[in-house]
Amino acid sequence: MSTATVGDLVSQPYKYGFVTEIETEKIAKGLSEDVVRLISAKKEEPAFLLEFRLRAFRQWQQMQEPDWAALGFPAIDYQDIIYYAAPKQQQKKTSLDEVDPKLLETFDKLGIPLSEQKRLSNVAVDAVFDSVSIATTFKEQLAEHGVIFCSISEAVKEHPELIERYLGTVVPSNDNYFAALNSAVFSDGSFVFIPKGVECPMELSTYFRINSGDTGQFERTLIVAEEGASVSYLEGCTAPMFDTNQLHAAVVELVVLDDASIKYSTVQNWYAGDENGVGGIYNFVTKRGQCRGDRSKISWTQVETGSAITWKYPSCVLQGADSVGEFYSVALTNNKQQADTGTKMIHVGPRSRSTIVSKGISAGHSSNSYRGLVQIGPKAVGARNYSQCDSMLIGDQAAANTYPYIRCQQPDAAIEHEASTCRISEDQLFYLQSRGIGFEEAVSMMVSGFCRDVFNQLPMEFAAEADKLLALKLEGSVG
Amino acid sequence: MVATPTAPTSTGRAGAGDAAWLATLAGAPLPSRRQEDWRFTDLKALTALEPQMITPADPLAAVDLPAGLERLSSSSAAPWLGQALAATASAEHWPVLLNSGASAAQACPLLALRVFGAAGSLDLHLDAGSTAGLATFRLLLVLEPGSSLELLLRPSSSGPNALSLVSEVILAPGAELKLGSLAFGTEESCLFQHTAVVQAAGSRLDHTAVAGGWGLARLEPRILQRDGQAFSRLRGLQVCRGAELADTHTWVRFDGPEGELDQLHKAVADDQARSVFNGAVRVPRAAQRTNAAQLSRSLLLSDRARIDTKPELEIVADDVKCAHGATVSRLQSEELFYLRSRGIASDQAAQLLQRAFCEEVLRDLPAAAASHGPLLTLLGRA
Amino acid sequence: MIRPDAPVLLDIRDLQAAVEDQPILKGVNLTIRAGEIHAVMGRNGSGKSTLSKVLAGHPAYTVTGGRVLYKGENLLEFDPEQRACIGLFLGFQYPVEIPGVSNLEFLRVATNARRAEQGFEELDTFAFEDLVRERLAVVQMDPAFLERSVNEGFSGGEKKRNEILQMALLEPLVAILDETDSGLDIDALRIVAGGVNQLASPDNATLLITHYQRLLDLITPDHVHVMAAGRILRSGGKELALELERTGYDWVDQELDRLAAGGQEAGRTPVEVG
Ligand SMILES: Nc1ncnc2c1ncn2[C@@H]1O[C@H](COP(=O)(O)OP(=O)(O)OP(=O)(O)O)[C@@H](O)[C@H]1O
Ligand SMILES: [Mg+2]
Repeated sequence: MSTATVGDLVSQPYKYGFVTEIETEKIAKGLSEDVVRLISAKKEEPAFLLEFRLRAFRQWQQMQEPDWAALGFPAIDYQDIIYYAAPKQQQKKTSLDEVDPKLLETFDKLGIPLSEQKRLSNVAVDAVFDSVSIATTFKEQLAEHGVIFCSISEAVKEHPELIERYLGTVVPSNDNYFAALNSAVFSDGSFVFIPKGVECPMELSTYFRINSGDTGQFERTLIVAEEGASVSYLEGCTAPMFDTNQLHAAVVELVVLDDASIKYSTVQNWYAGDENGVGGIYNFVTKRGQCRGDRSKISWTQVETGSAITWKYPSCVLQGADSVGEFYSVALTNNKQQADTGTKMIHVGPRSRSTIVSKGISAGHSSNSYRGLVQIGPKAVGARNYSQCDSMLIGDQAAANTYPYIRCQQPDAAIEHEASTCRISEDQLFYLQSRGIGFEEAVSMMVSGFCRDVFNQLPMEFAAEADKLLALKLEGSVG
Repeated sequence: MVATPTAPTSTGRAGAGDAAWLATLAGAPLPSRRQEDWRFTDLKALTALEPQMITPADPLAAVDLPAGLERLSSSSAAPWLGQALAATASAEHWPVLLNSGASAAQACPLLALRVFGAAGSLDLHLDAGSTAGLATFRLLLVLEPGSSLELLLRPSSSGPNALSLVSEVILAPGAELKLGSLAFGTEESCLFQHTAVVQAAGSRLDHTAVAGGWGLARLEPRILQRDGQAFSRLRGLQVCRGAELADTHTWVRFDGPEGELDQLHKAVADDQARSVFNGAVRVPRAAQRTNAAQLSRSLLLSDRARIDTKPELEIVADDVKCAHGATVSRLQSEELFYLRSRGIASDQAAQLLQRAFCEEVLRDLPAAAASHGPLLTLLGRA
Repeated sequence: MIRPDAPVLLDIRDLQAAVEDQPILKGVNLTIRAGEIHAVMGRNGSGKSTLSKVLAGHPAYTVTGGRVLYKGENLLEFDPEQRACIGLFLGFQYPVEIPGVSNLEFLRVATNARRAEQGFEELDTFAFEDLVRERLAVVQMDPAFLERSVNEGFSGGEKKRNEILQMALLEPLVAILDETDSGLDIDALRIVAGGVNQLASPDNATLLITHYQRLLDLITPDHVHVMAAGRILRSGGKELALELERTGYDWVDQELDRLAAGGQEAGRTPVEVG
């Protein structure tokens, strides 16, 4: 962590709060079967996909918004949302030179340079602006290895057989209310396919940007790693500051076959609303991975610092024998933010193993809940789980809740769960201060120490980023 | 539960007709498995009951009350009744409603005791007997400042009936209560044992609840530390076999600073039995410097048995120590191996380890429990 | 080294301090000049650590009277971190463990904070590693300790060495070492004492809090003070420590009784002996 700069950082407001002035094409507010058909038509989708969307839409109409999470927010008017917005740039450009410079500038400002000469070394980026993907870098180099990395709309056109084979197989369209909504109206997102035996030669990353004030973002990501393949994938998210709430309901599906692995990292910094809880993103996300193959592995790492509301449980279905699921999470809430997040580890296969490390930091008037499920099915002989969830409270107005459920049907399994709550002790702070480290800096050092087990899981470049982000978010919450 | 709840679907047996008399008694419909608190609690053993009331013997009639202890009449108990239930937010809780409704319907004896000195120990047998139907007991304990009592409750049943016991306990400053409960039933019987405790500052509660053998046992200790600064020690042990269901829901809340909780819950599930544990700990803003530790340990002995545990910690105070832990496993193979390498047969080694597992809780029961051979009753059938 | 004309670094006058309304320091007087080494001794609970923490600005202690000048400035006005940056160092009697915070990172940030105050440029990771390796030699510490969390799982002696390492990096003007010798094995004691001697110069000063002559055999003090019941009861040269070694603290009670009987004023001004 470059602590020397944290000092300057803490004095900055949300720096991604700007709006890009760009002409967009939108479908009028509201949701109906016609809107679903229109989205599909605009994207010139094959029949199977329209069918998929319509089925999801009908299921969604029959469903209720879930109410079991420890969250409170005014009812969402689903007819007051725009379900499709795209920058006016009719065709996706084959070369970056043709992309609207305003968009390139936007991503530059966000620290995601798309022009390849200024590229983040060894990271390929797919940039999603409101509802559509505007550019994907390094495609050719990846193609040489047989790796497909493109927007999901492109994949629908160019690899329809893969989409048809895998889409909705991990998160069925009727899985839950928000997943059904997403399945009906998803606009874009990333698609990754790593063929048999290939170790993806670079980090892949998608950057999501919400720009319009009244648009929902419904992205869909699908990653498939065939036998023996492996990939590390990272997503980042920001949004402008509006005093209204925007809905973000994403679905991420991961499929991992024998001996393959996917490492999926998220740094989520959607606009969180102001200190009075006005504005901010409602982040309702369904993320699930299926370890279908033996010895397959899925590792989720998330750093959740933004959004007014976070509802998110990246999960692993451990079907394969000896498959491995991991979940590393830092969730920081400040001001009036609410987060209800955690994971599900569903052990089906024998000797499947899972590890959960969750660190929740609650400051201000926020509420931060860990909700997890470890389920050991009757066939999961020799399954193991270890979970650790720690909460740190900053100030006496913040809430930390922990709901770690365990369901076990297999005697030859071992499940261990530990949880603790702490605060930054006066003695520890004083020790750091007595060595000349300023108060805020001392706090941010302690917080990043608290989160270290999780940050260690992030790809190098992003670990430092995540650290700075936390310092930034804690501004003014201590003392 | 995360995302989509996948509750097993089996409410079929509990047809509205079967349970109508219970709903009428309680003045409220039976809990549904769609309610989070009842998701895993299959009430078929309850709804299968013969719709009639049992008049149990008055357990206090048979004992000489030690000095420092006085039985209160209904009228002198009246001002105290309901206080602990209200304080622990359980007055409207279905098992409590059922107990209240049933007590009113047949004027069951009120076991109300005032403790005003060092009262020594008392052993009460609450027997539902072998007749079919519903037996209710209501207990009130009021411990005055500085008083102490060691009380063993022995709810039991030997027939196709349900035993409903609601205990209300009020601990004044400096009062100390050691409350043990040793409950044995049969696979045809159900136990609904609800214990509501309000603790004043400086009081101490040692509550140990052991249950085994019931077709359905639901234990609900609920504790409020009204001003914090009290000590609560909770121990629980449930052993279930066959098709039994053992279900413990604990709830502890601190409404003042510097309260302490030391909780250990143990469960053993064999055959097709199902063991459920739900442990809520609430630490609101007023409860700074609370020190709460909850540990749940479960032994799963068969591949048709199942265990569900669900701790719930809700904390809104920054200067607190709250730790909780849970483990589910079978007997440790290392330990088994060690015993066997010393010449002990594997069955016997397993028995030894199970005994050790149970004894950690049993030894916290009041001394009077020993004469009832709890270990043998719990594990003897193996 | 006593030079009457050397500048005064730390000047403590009638310092009184309390914890939760309970008075602990009851009028401490002490003057420390550049180049001097002072030793403070006294029974357990006499207030030695309290004095050191009040000087370092621990928030649990409230100053209820008196003043402390550091190079002529009011020390009590500064935050703990400012005190460190301007050159005051406290080696803790019980250094805390800080899980998760890397020792190396911690040392680097602390060193750079002090350097910034001194007007030196910030050291980058590489330059700092060079420096830290050089300073490790002073305390003969294994570089492996740098990779661990601050004091976490360190043995008692390792924690104390880590304190001296910090001192070597921060190059304080006034170093207060609270029982740095306790918990050290014989070799480590030599190493630590050697380190302190090596860092002592005509421009800085050291205040050693200790119970044992064995440290003072290795670091020769210019002044020795005996604390009792929250004040300095007696001051002298290095022979006072030797005398204490022979006589113990029994005389302290008589002295305190005498004070209680009315000679309060005598207690305020340290009595010179020998
Ligand atoms: N934070 C505190 N809270 C309560 N009492 C305190 C606190 N700090 C110090 N005291 C009390 O003040 C007195 C002086 O303590 P101090 O630690 O300064 O003694 P000391 O001279 O350093 O003793 P030792 O030689 O054992 O290290 C003791 O009685 C101690 O208990
Ligand atoms: Mg001391």
